[in-house]
Amino acid sequence: MILRSLVLRHGRRALPRPTTPLRQSWRRCYASQIERTYTNPLEDQLYVEGGPDATKAQAINNLPSRSEVAPDDTVAADWEFFRHQKAVTGDLGSALAPHYKPHELLSNPPKPSDITLELLMASQSHIGHSTSLWHPANAKYIFGVRGEQDPIHIISLDVTAAYLRRACKIVRGVTERGGLVLFVGTRDGQVGVVVKAAKMAKGCHLFTKWIPGSITNGEQILGKCRKKVVDHLDVEVEGFEDQLLQKAVLKPDLVVCLNLPENYILLHECALNNIPTIGIVDTDCNPTWVTYPIPANDDSLRCVQVIGGVLGRAGEEGQELRLHKAKNGIVDYQQNHRLEKPKEKEEEDGGEERSRGGRMLRAGDE
Amino acid sequence: MELRQIVRRAITVRHNPAKRRVLQQCRFYATPTDSGSTAGAGAGASGQQGDIQAAAPITFTTNSDQFAAPRAELVQDRSRPRRTRRPDHAGGRDDHDQDLLLRRVRIVPASPSYFTATPEYMDNLLELSSLLRAHQTLPMLPPGQAPRVAWKTIDQYKTELAEPVRVKGYGMLIKLLRRLNHIHPSLMPAEVTEALEKYKRHSQPYMNAPKPIEVNEYGVSAAVGRRKSSSAKAYLVEGTGECMINGKRLSEYFGRLHDRESAVWALKSTQRLDKYNVWALAKGGGTTGQAEAITLAVAKALLAHEPDLKPALRRAGCVTRDPRRVERKKPGHLKARKMPTWVKR
Repeated sequence: MILRSLVLRHGRRALPRPTTPLRQSWRRCYASQIERTYTNPLEDQLYVEGGPDATKAQAINNLPSRSEVAPDDTVAADWEFFRHQKAVTGDLGSALAPHYKPHELLSNPPKPSDITLELLMASQSHIGHSTSLWHPANAKYIFGVRGEQDPIHIISLDVTAAYLRRACKIVRGVTERGGLVLFVGTRDGQVGVVVKAAKMAKGCHLFTKWIPGSITNGEQILGKCRKKVVDHLDVEVEGFEDQLLQKAVLKPDLVVCLNLPENYILLHECALNNIPTIGIVDTDCNPTWVTYPIPANDDSLRCVQVIGGVLGRAGEEGQELRLHKAKNGIVDYQQNHRLEKPKEKEEEDGGEERSRGGRMLRAGDE
Repeated sequence: MELRQIVRRAITVRHNPAKRRVLQQCRFYATPTDSGSTAGAGAGASGQQGDIQAAAPITFTTNSDQFAAPRAELVQDRSRPRRTRRPDHAGGRDDHDQDLLLRRVRIVPASPSYFTATPEYMDNLLELSSLLRAHQTLPMLPPGQAPRVAWKTIDQYKTELAEPVRVKGYGMLIKLLRRLNHIHPSLMPAEVTEALEKYKRHSQPYMNAPKPIEVNEYGVSAAVGRRKSSSAKAYLVEGTGECMINGKRLSEYFGRLHDRESAVWALKSTQRLDKYNVWALAKGGGTTGQAEAITLAVAKALLAHEPDLKPALRRAGCVTRDPRRVERKKPGHLKARKMPTWVKR
């Protein structure tokens, strides 16, 4: 819209009146004035845009748009230089004593054979909750009470280590027999350990809320999620797709839960379906919710990473054992999947037989 | 060892169809006493046991993992379907392979995120976050400098995956994508580029650049202007100041003085009224809309002739498209905002 003075816009009588320079609106300026008043203060800088010897017109047309920022070549060179410097000078200076590197719990988790009381103590797995919050069923896992003002329970690390080793054997046994292990950790920061453990044990992970009914009402919730058929060497076998659509949804064969209090429904569903569960039981948790409790501090991310990593490693061992045996032709487990032979082949066979029979009949007639 | 030998022998014998049926009965009684019977076939068939022998001595080991090792090498298979005899040997062999395969296959989830109910979305999220973790330290562009990308809308994404993805979850995905898009282009890894491609819309509206208005070989520049619901196309040639709109002269076409002035305001405000000829086509809307649509069209065409006039034209209010339209009528209102008269009872 062109804004001019109100008088001009609305008053008919205003138009014939000559506009004196004094009364002129600031919007209504003529090119003569513009040329007089308009001088570009950024003349030198602006015209660089059009090239070294560009006219004003080219310069204005070539004003940079948002999408074409010229790639700065120095950034790549600087980055290369930085990496070079880091590689060359990175190991200069004093020698570092062995120390705790938080990322190593995820990149290289401890093995079941690495379980020591020192490791558990260092990861603060002995710290329980305030004594007023305790669940009395945990009495046998509790070593004592610490503190006068705010007393907390201390978990007995002997028990923790023993129960953790037992849990490792269970995970290893299940994976060795081709079972499906589900690792669950739905608290903030537990994504990494859950995903890593599931990857090692070739199982499943869950780091968001458990959708209630995923086991008891699985057809509705997981019905559309894709399944596949694999052979003893974990190679996918084609040809069962149409049968898979008819099959029931999968249930885990073992559930490892890293935070009990938030996952009551999951554990209840597992119990209803006779699925064994392993869980980290803090002093305020009810150990009867899980089949195989591991008394430890579930509020410490470091402790959870140690325990999850160890169980993932156990699963990895189990899978290795299973694959090793499978390569030698030993398959000492069987899934009751009730799959049938792929249909196309059967039909072909049937067709052949029928045609052969017909030919024989005709031969007999002759 | 003895048990294992028997098992091995039993397996070899099983492949002989003549002895198979006989053996099937004795297969379940694999006791140490069987070792005495020769070849296991004759004794097993009659159900007799050989001479009574002492049991093998029990050995104790100190191996702590002795119970973790599998105890049975051969697992009974009762659920196996009955094998039908085929006249064709090759077919029978095929059948046997199929049976063996069926005993070995398992049904497993296609994705480790199976139990999240949105496995593909979760896999995408994990893939992107692992990419970001891998390339977190690469130099970034300053905020807002990254190339503009139109990502898939949540509806497009949901339709593609056929999974109930939530708005918040898709927001997390978009956040990761934006962060990855901010990696400096000169150091952008190929895998990131490849991963980002999957989430881009097929048509990228931000790639559309307006075609620059140019003066053609006849010295004519053409431009389109719009205002309210009118649109106008103006052709501008250097000339003597003639102005034709829809085949009529300016004063014939617009009755109102204000509209006449508006239509050529771009020329008038820059004192070019007598230097150009305008030939314009206006359609839609009313007189004001058409007049001011012509203003914009003429201003744009004039800029093609003299780009230096842009600041002047901007100050004269000729460069910016006025986006205002008629406000829609609302239910319960008489017009856009007018309410019916309210009378107490």
